[in-house]
Amino acid sequence: MEKPIETIWKEAFSERDLKEVPRLGNFYDQESQQLVDKVKRKFKNNLVATVVMAIVILIVHMFIEAAWQGAIAAALLLGLAWYSTRQMRRVHTVNPGLGSYQYLRLFDQTLREALAKNMIVIRFFYPLIFLTSMSTIWYAGNNEAILTGKLTETFPDLLFVGGLPLIGLIAVGGITVLIAYFSGRIYKWDVGLIYGRTFKKLRETIADMEQLNE
Amino acid sequence: MSTDFYQTAILPYAPIIIKICRAYTDTQEDFEDYYQEVCLQIWRSKDNFQEQSKWSTWVYRISLNVCLTLLKKRKRKQEYTDFKAASHKAVVGNRAFENEEINQLYDAIKRLSEVDRAVILLFLEERSYQEIADILGTNPNNIGVRVKRIKERLKKILDGKTH
Repeated sequence: MEKPIETIWKEAFSERDLKEVPRLGNFYDQESQQLVDKVKRKFKNNLVATVVMAIVILIVHMFIEAAWQGAIAAALLLGLAWYSTRQMRRVHTVNPGLGSYQYLRLFDQTLREALAKNMIVIRFFYPLIFLTSMSTIWYAGNNEAILTGKLTETFPDLLFVGGLPLIGLIAVGGITVLIAYFSGRIYKWDVGLIYGRTFKKLRETIADMEQLNE
Repeated sequence: MSTDFYQTAILPYAPIIIKICRAYTDTQEDFEDYYQEVCLQIWRSKDNFQEQSKWSTWVYRISLNVCLTLLKKRKRKQEYTDFKAASHKAVVGNRAFENEEINQLYDAIKRLSEVDRAVILLFLEERSYQEIADILGTNPNNIGVRVKRIKERLKKILDGKTH
């Protein structure tokens, strides 16, 4: 090429090349879809992780001779996964054919409703999981006999109700009530750990779109 | 984004944005995506603009940042595909401008590294070395040497094509 590149650059662009700017619009179509897909993907991964965890818990509990507790914990996890899936089905019904703003708004709203419904179940789930864990510690294998022996040896005056130390029952009862009371916050923290950044991005995008439309 | 802002602060600089986005994209679809994203980022960051530099410098900086970021994201996505083969095919088939010389020059520019593309685009836009360094956040001392090297490389590529 004979011409220096500076000359080509100066001379060669036609009016049409630089004046025909792409039409602005549907700014967020792709971004909205990516966000929604990300939430759905994370939910799916979380679901798979819950099911795997349920199976692992069951197997581990069988090994430590606490099969009943393992079965209960696994059933609780699978029940939660089933309920969450039912809730998320509503999210899948949001019509992507809507404009990206409407779509994201509706998606966010449906998601919030689904999480609020999950929170009702969670109020029972966390305390039950805690009680199951406590039960595992006490009853797994030969633990009951060993722990009772050690406790009576260390604290000879300890009061037992139904084979369980009263002080332990009170402590577990107290913690269970606290967990039930704070379950909402624990759930929000839990959800925040997994979906926090994506939800933040979702809400920022909606706010951005609202500002854009002003 | 208000129409006013677009009309007064972005549209007059559309040629700059177009030239930069073309250097980092191979298809019309990508080009339009990049263009929109650049406009959006200019609008988003308008409040951060301090009048220490010219608005056009700001536009260059954002355009390049957005293009480099999008390109990086895209490359990450394509890491399992034969990126080189795919992009070469797209470059050869892409004729974005009316003039064939400028299309060839763009083909050559696209063979440079991302940063070299930015340097040569700014040089061709007659930005000073100091301004190029400011926009790219580098030292102005080696911009001249770098420009010389890039021009030689471009010449080689273009000559290789014509002969």
